[in-house]
Amino acid sequence: METAAAEVENRMAEPFIVFDDIRMRFGPADEGMPPVLDGIDLAFPKNSFVSIVGRSGCGKTTLLNIAAGLVKATSGEVRIDGKAVKGPGEGQGVVFQQHALFPWLTAAGNVEFGTRTRGLPKEEKRQVARDLLDLVGLGHAVDKYPRELSGGMQQRVAIARALAMDPEILLMDEPFGALDELTRIELQQELLRVWEAQKKTVVFITHSINEALILSDRVILLAPHPGRVHKDIDITLPRPRERTDPAFNEMYQEIWEGLSS
Amino acid sequence: MNERWTRALTAIAVFGVLILAWEYASTNGLLKPYKFPPPSKIARGFVELATKGFPKDLTLWVHVQTTVARILQGYVYALALAIPLGFLVGALPLLEKLTNPLIVFGRSIATLSLLPLVIVWFGTGELTKVILIGYGCFWTMISNVIAGVKYVDRTLIAAARTMGVSGLNLYWSVILPAALPRMFAGARMALGVGFMVIVGAEMIGTIEGLGALIMEARTFYRSDITIIGMLVIGVIGFLISSGLMRLERVLIPWDTGLQDVRR
Repeated sequence: METAAAEVENRMAEPFIVFDDIRMRFGPADEGMPPVLDGIDLAFPKNSFVSIVGRSGCGKTTLLNIAAGLVKATSGEVRIDGKAVKGPGEGQGVVFQQHALFPWLTAAGNVEFGTRTRGLPKEEKRQVARDLLDLVGLGHAVDKYPRELSGGMQQRVAIARALAMDPEILLMDEPFGALDELTRIELQQELLRVWEAQKKTVVFITHSINEALILSDRVILLAPHPGRVHKDIDITLPRPRERTDPAFNEMYQEIWEGLSS
Repeated sequence: MNERWTRALTAIAVFGVLILAWEYASTNGLLKPYKFPPPSKIARGFVELATKGFPKDLTLWVHVQTTVARILQGYVYALALAIPLGFLVGALPLLEKLTNPLIVFGRSIATLSLLPLVIVWFGTGELTKVILIGYGCFWTMISNVIAGVKYVDRTLIAAARTMGVSGLNLYWSVILPAALPRMFAGARMALGVGFMVIVGAEMIGTIEGLGALIMEARTFYRSDITIIGMLVIGVIGFLISSGLMRLERVLIPWDTGLQDVRR
């Protein structure tokens, strides 16, 4: 009884998302390979926008996949709202680097697919899909197949689809990495707008310092071999942020030095 | 549009010149008419075949019907077997590893080399023909179904899992539709195999069907009929193949990425 009470209290006190001593190792320990992730401890409050930045090979994608429940950590656990993640589809919406849209479904069909676990009646699912496509500025493209959409539009549909499951958190794995610079900036603005409208907690992976600075409340720097938290920086700059702002450049320098040291 | 017309006209002109040259050569002793019957004789042979029939009373229509019925039977049985089996094998990596050598082996045996053995087992009746066609179609189809299922984009599966899809549902809602284009390509290739096998399969124990027609014509030194048989097989194959392609566009309108595999 006492432990249950303690647990409830714990949950009240604990931040919304907790990475609790995550370790990940591919292959047996005695082969001398450093672990991919070596004791990641992080905690984010609700409604925050956190970016995880690091070089290739620092385990950012693995960390995200663990939070998504797609990959099981060697040890440690991720808790969302006090509940340990056991598998995918437990309230984590995921957007991948490749749009990963189902080519046989239209934009609306793809977004509707995201609603399938919510137990809504058919008509309501359709309405949710239409509203979300409107939200990401694709109200005119509901009946288009993914191959008929540009890269930026495909990624917008992917975001709408992840939102369709009404997730508590949105995990994004370099979602704009494959887009051209202009589309990328456009989608960053779009994402901020959506985040403010929907009040989701976002964990965003990128290797672009600029992108992390434009978007986030907080930037986590991961260092590779083995993957570990190197720096944890609060970004207090007011939004909308300008790349030309001197304060912005100062932050940029700080992160840059953190990454190259 | 203009360019298309020019291309069509060029093609017609080339064929026209070739046919005229052939006609000239074989009526003026440059080519032996019994080896290269002149187009005019082929045209007369066509009329004979369509009205009186060859051998007697077996008109072109009867031959076509018989052949198409045989191909479709073997084809449908092969697909009915290859689709579920291929899906199962493609879905289970261990099973795929175990059966892979068998499938490569089975696919590599030229279907017609089985003819003597199949005759010993099943006689010279209809069953033998259907089995040979089915055999040829089966391996082509199953290879494609396995590949279609096995090479489904992993991120699609991951995406579906993040949306709470798991177990059998994953096969039904993601893997099956993702594998459909490849399966369709396989179905078209398998039909092509059926048409290749049919002539050989109809060479024994029957005088009905386009393959039999070709063989009978040989015994009677009717090269013109042989050529008509060849042409008709080509035309039917072409028609069915474009029909399937049209069906494909209706059934899987989202697909464009498989143009190369489609032939």
